[in-house]
Amino acid sequence: MQKTPDSRIEGSPHSNGFAAGRVLLGGSVGLILAACLNSSSLLAEAKRLPDSANRAVSLAVWTPLEAAASSLKLTWPRELGERLLGRAEDEPPITLVRERTEFTSETDSDQTELVVESVQREQRSEPSSLSSMNSAPELAWDENNPLKIWVLGDSMVQFFGETFVSMAEQSSLVDGTSEPRLSSGLSRPDYFDWPARVAQVMDEYDPDVVVLMFGGNDAQNIRDADNQWLERFGEPWVEEYRRRVGFVMDIAADDDQRIILWVGQPPMSGAGFDTRMQLLNELYQMEADERESVHYIELRSLFTDTSGEYSRYLPDTSGKLVDVRLSDGVHLSHWGGKWLSELLLSEISRLSGLGDLWQQ
Amino acid sequence: MLFPTLAFGLFFVAVYVLNWLTRPHPLVWRVTILGASLFFYAWWNWRFVFLLLWAVISNWYAGTQIERSLRSENTQGTRNWLLTAIVGDLLILGVFKYYDFFALELSNLLGADTTLPLLELTLPVGISFFTFQAMSYVIDLKRDLVKPMPFLDFAVYLSFFPQLVAGPIVRASEMAPQITQRPDPRRVQSAEAFHLILRGLFKKVVISSWLASNLVDSVFANPDGHSSHDVLLGVYGYAIQIYADFSGYTDIAIGVALLLGFRFPTNFDCPYRALSLRDFWKRWHITLSSWLRDYLYIPLGGNRGRNVETYRNLLITMILGGLWHGSTWNFIIWGLIHGVALIVERLLPKGNLPPAVRWLITFHVVCFAWVFFRAESFSNALDVLSAIAASPGSDQVSSLPVLLLIAATVGTQFISKAQTEQFRQWSNQHSALTQGVMFGIGLVLIDLFGPEGVAPFIYFQF
Repeated sequence: MQKTPDSRIEGSPHSNGFAAGRVLLGGSVGLILAACLNSSSLLAEAKRLPDSANRAVSLAVWTPLEAAASSLKLTWPRELGERLLGRAEDEPPITLVRERTEFTSETDSDQTELVVESVQREQRSEPSSLSSMNSAPELAWDENNPLKIWVLGDSMVQFFGETFVSMAEQSSLVDGTSEPRLSSGLSRPDYFDWPARVAQVMDEYDPDVVVLMFGGNDAQNIRDADNQWLERFGEPWVEEYRRRVGFVMDIAADDDQRIILWVGQPPMSGAGFDTRMQLLNELYQMEADERESVHYIELRSLFTDTSGEYSRYLPDTSGKLVDVRLSDGVHLSHWGGKWLSELLLSEISRLSGLGDLWQQ
Repeated sequence: MLFPTLAFGLFFVAVYVLNWLTRPHPLVWRVTILGASLFFYAWWNWRFVFLLLWAVISNWYAGTQIERSLRSENTQGTRNWLLTAIVGDLLILGVFKYYDFFALELSNLLGADTTLPLLELTLPVGISFFTFQAMSYVIDLKRDLVKPMPFLDFAVYLSFFPQLVAGPIVRASEMAPQITQRPDPRRVQSAEAFHLILRGLFKKVVISSWLASNLVDSVFANPDGHSSHDVLLGVYGYAIQIYADFSGYTDIAIGVALLLGFRFPTNFDCPYRALSLRDFWKRWHITLSSWLRDYLYIPLGGNRGRNVETYRNLLITMILGGLWHGSTWNFIIWGLIHGVALIVERLLPKGNLPPAVRWLITFHVVCFAWVFFRAESFSNALDVLSAIAASPGSDQVSSLPVLLLIAATVGTQFISKAQTEQFRQWSNQHSALTQGVMFGIGLVLIDLFGPEGVAPFIYFQF
């Protein structure tokens, strides 16, 4: 806790600084060096950008730089660092059959992208708890074999997932897990491969209930299996996006006793964004309607005012106004998260026929 | 435009070149820096540029009128213009930051039948910082502590991009001479600037982001789902996270300004080595605490009156300081805790407690207050505190790396200034080219160790 005695400081030859031009030169060399050493990471980041002029420019800059840096072996220190930190890419999950598609665009000539094509369902050796519950409607879970609930999705999940888990785990018979992934969705599996992750969770944890929420980042152009960009909300885009939504639903519903809740997007404060989210909600509902174990959760009525419009502040059951949305006009606040969690728990209770689960 | 992004890097290189090229031409330089600052601000939301410009124009004009009234010894006129400027600034803050909070509380107080209209406005980034700077300018003019600034100088001062969105709160008396006096372009303090920028990036990108995603967010979102160890560690973790986040931003801001030839005041001075709350506030967010002292606590009477008046002044200052951070009850409670703790410190006899005990008490009072600062609601804060005492949850996030990171960051608070200075002097011994190379390697390492994506700085919301 004692202050270290001050030491005598020797003067340095450059303590008065350098000329601005030399600093610019030194700084530029440093930045260029950093760009070369980091070029693989910068290129990967550029590829994750939505289809836009910004993406095209970024790719035009980073692709040749990465190629040059790679040929000069300047990328290996970063790769080594990644490996030492244990961030080497995992092998694709065994439940997925994947088709390797060669990029043909001018900017990605030697790159590959994994496109999920189909899922190979695994035979489960043990019946799930829900199946036994359905045949005999008494509690089939105990503390050693709890009802497993998983919440997966984008940043919306970050704002309510843990609250939901906390509320769900009020019952000692429930084991909840929330796994949000920021900036992710179903439009860009090259950024985060949700079908693969959902399959992995189903395979490894065999949850009884799965809550899925995507869409906030999905209103952007997407690449189809032929590596063609599909324009947002065009007919081919809608067809491909529906296929992806249905695909994830099918992965989650590989056990027909499992309850799947697909949460729609709440109303948004921005008119354009809200319209886009409503269009996505229609697609989610259509796909959910085609599957018996997938239940679409509509949020618009929960988060609109009496005139049916977006509102940041809404009255709770006692009539007290609370802020249910964050100031960004998109995400749910703490209270909004609680409202959504209550809705989900009541849906789970209703669907599982175990209304008293959270009264234990 | 966040500091730790490529967009800012490119923006800054362009501004750096323009800054030094145009510095010999005062008018061109001012227009260039003002334009760059407005561009930087417009990157978030271009509409709020008009709000910033309004703050510039209104406060500058009020300043000229205050000066004119002072010269003609028109005391009433001086007061009126000062009041007008302050009310105008508080009105901006009130409308954008506080109106909905008070309207909501009032509506709930009056009952369901009475609902006051809510504005639901987006909070402009940095609004609390630039309005406080503007207020300090007009008040200092009235106190004759600063000379009236020419319009462009004042516009550059209020909108200067390195400190625009999250401080430090720089006084006009500190900036005005640096705007008028051209710095020596042959003496750019690159070693210190690169060191500050790297240190700030490391604090933000590695420490703050890592603790948030691996510990703090999870604990505060679901305290009951974690063990007592987890929750306690989460609270300590938040103390480190917010320090790393905010002081990291300040380090970068000071480093960036230094490269442009400006020296900002120190904003953090190892706050977690404080041995009392009073000491803490001399080390934490120094530019805000000194602002509150000079423009609120002392005008209220400071410690000049009776003890009870001093305590009242302390409480008012700290509660308003809490409210400055945001319009929620939790921020008010945070300020209240600090206010009460400062009073208790004054009430208690000056004993001979060992420094280690005093440090332990101070650190834990600060951490206790952080619980309310971070929690989503009052009940969430209580959940966190009760979970520390007894929680049914299990160990989920407690791990040796987490513990080591927290302990190491607290440990750095006790590194003496001489040792830091020695490191800076060592950096100074190298050529600009070597410094640049070291800077580049530092950037790569920070990017490697940091998590994917960069969350906005916590203090942007204030």
